[in-house]
Amino acid sequence: MKTFVGIDLGSTTTKAVVLDEEGAVLGRGITNSRSNYDLAAEVARTEAFVSARFSLLRAGVERAAGPAALDRLLRAFRLEQRLVQWARLRQWIEASAPRAAPASLQSALAATLEELFARLVAEEEERFRGDEAADRSDFFRDAAGSAYARVAQEIADPRGVTCDLLIGLYDHSIIAVENEPLDLGFPNHIRAALARCEGAPGVAEAAQAAASADLEIAASVGTGYGRARLPFPKEQIRSEILCHGLGAHAMFPATRTVLDIGGQDTKAIQVDGDGLVTSFQMNDRCAAGCGRYLGYIADEMNMGLHELGPLALESRAPVRINSTCTVFAGAELRERLSLGERREDILAGLHRAVILRAMSLVARSGGIADEFTFTGGVAKNPAAVLALRNLVAENYGERRINISADSIYTGALGAALFARRAA
Amino acid sequence: MTTAGIDVGSSAVKAVVLEKSGEAFSVLSHVEARIRKREVGRVVRETFDAACEAAGIRDLHYVATTGEGEETPFATGHFFGMTTHARGALFLEPRARAVLDLGALHARAMAVDPSGRVLASKMTSQCASGSGQFLENIARYLGVSLTEVGALSLSAGRGETVSSICAVLAETDVINMVSRGIPTAEILRGIHESMAGRLARLLQTLAVSGVVFVTGGLAADDGLVGALARALASGAADGAAPVPVRHALSAFAGAIGAAIWGEYRYRKIGQEGYSWTAAATA
Repeated sequence: MKTFVGIDLGSTTTKAVVLDEEGAVLGRGITNSRSNYDLAAEVARTEAFVSARFSLLRAGVERAAGPAALDRLLRAFRLEQRLVQWARLRQWIEASAPRAAPASLQSALAATLEELFARLVAEEEERFRGDEAADRSDFFRDAAGSAYARVAQEIADPRGVTCDLLIGLYDHSIIAVENEPLDLGFPNHIRAALARCEGAPGVAEAAQAAASADLEIAASVGTGYGRARLPFPKEQIRSEILCHGLGAHAMFPATRTVLDIGGQDTKAIQVDGDGLVTSFQMNDRCAAGCGRYLGYIADEMNMGLHELGPLALESRAPVRINSTCTVFAGAELRERLSLGERREDILAGLHRAVILRAMSLVARSGGIADEFTFTGGVAKNPAAVLALRNLVAENYGERRINISADSIYTGALGAALFARRAA
Repeated sequence: MTTAGIDVGSSAVKAVVLEKSGEAFSVLSHVEARIRKREVGRVVRETFDAACEAAGIRDLHYVATTGEGEETPFATGHFFGMTTHARGALFLEPRARAVLDLGALHARAMAVDPSGRVLASKMTSQCASGSGQFLENIARYLGVSLTEVGALSLSAGRGETVSSICAVLAETDVINMVSRGIPTAEILRGIHESMAGRLARLLQTLAVSGVVFVTGGLAADDGLVGALARALASGAADGAAPVPVRHALSAFAGAIGAAIWGEYRYRKIGQEGYSWTAAATA
């Protein structure tokens, strides 16, 4: 079947959306952008086609064995991908170990790494066996980083193989892992994933059919911060403002104002009834007021980014954060924690701070006269959404606010729609 | 008489043990540990223990904290960062007439008199661009350890010009430079030059001259100190430019100053000492 691909090459994450011939979303994929844009586009596209093939086998597997079987198959598939990444990280770390520590430490270091990775892989397997819901970050770097740091702290020896040494090795190697095309695609791992699931009759057949379906890319459009670097001809590139406008319009046709809080930039866009942009405002290059702010805070707290919002929602008495700069806010957070203030209260204050900055852009772009749509990665964060609702009500009164769980893909959706129009 | 000084910074804890015999202090041990994301109190304890152990000292007359170490339960007393850095700087470099403390979040410039009194001071603003944390982030984005940064920067024939960039969003700027094919060494030199420009402006507002003693962890960064010397020399008449000077123990200046002040306070008011052995077995 013919498919249309939109790729939104953001500064922090790269998103891909695959549409079918009717323009319905077939699959979505996301990855860290990091340092290699071509690779990020490739990884996001691979992920989007993995998710497209899962869409194709969904009906078959659910018919054959019920929704739980589908979920289990998906988790088995993710586990297989994860094991490839851990194995590769280990190879990189072991390759740089000889340079990282003196000869006298090498054998102790090798033994520590052996134990470290054995424990990390065992944790992955355990999580899969334990039927734990996949409530984890989408990204290997984030999930792996916190697990690695935790285990490293447990088994490090302050007089020998120190925690510093282990973390240093990780920092050095994770970039390498992210900058090579790992083989994580659907055909390569679906068999192993099926083997992990006690195959109900019909599951393997449905998976086989999905694996062999011919998905042909009829047209692609790229957008986003790194669009100039995409391996696309110029006529297949659109500005992210246009794509966000069109994507938001496709999801919510009556929307007139779009606030997109992405990783490194925040955009306030006004659109007309056709999804065309009439005015917009963007933030200057400062992390305060965009998603990286929260990412930085999550790192500071040793939490996953997805865990911040739910915790902040528990606050009864949000604090007022005094720092504007992200790094200083991180220090303020540490200081407040050491004074015994509650984590949720500090976090609630930090969420309000980030939304306050974004709302000043909305005001500058023309305010909120009508239906309002909140998109970008931060729209997935419930505490940010709450802060936004409060600030919209305080400044503009009652307004309809649209938020979709898939809003991080708005730009990629707009790009895919442009691709379908052009084809 | 032996005293300890513990300087709790935002990214590292430094501890020293000093001995005074006659009028002269000597540094018996110095230990530094990165906090990373560990509980600060624990890092303070470990660093202090390691310094006592390395000095072979069991009993101390005074345990002084400085920086963010005010809450340290076993300390005898606390001293403000400006006074300890000024005192420690003069101990390490008697010619110092200005001190530039390069911390993780802030840089602080001080004009000092020969007795270590702070005459004037100025601190960087509430933006982390150009701070120690900023450089650390850049190094991490480049996959270079902080200890390699100085030499790499010095090896570059030119610096890639960077405008003032956000410490957090710098990641993308660095990624873009890398993908444009700019060598790591040139990126680091450019970063150092932009940081040095900011520090030189800070010193110029205090109108300091002569020897500027650089303290804090960044003092060990040859690339940064070299860039600072160039920045201070440009626009100054020959021989009139302030000269940055540092010492192998620059990172411990605050801790050393605290230990020296601790000795002074002990002599003046005779506070009770601290038995490390007794505490360790308690």
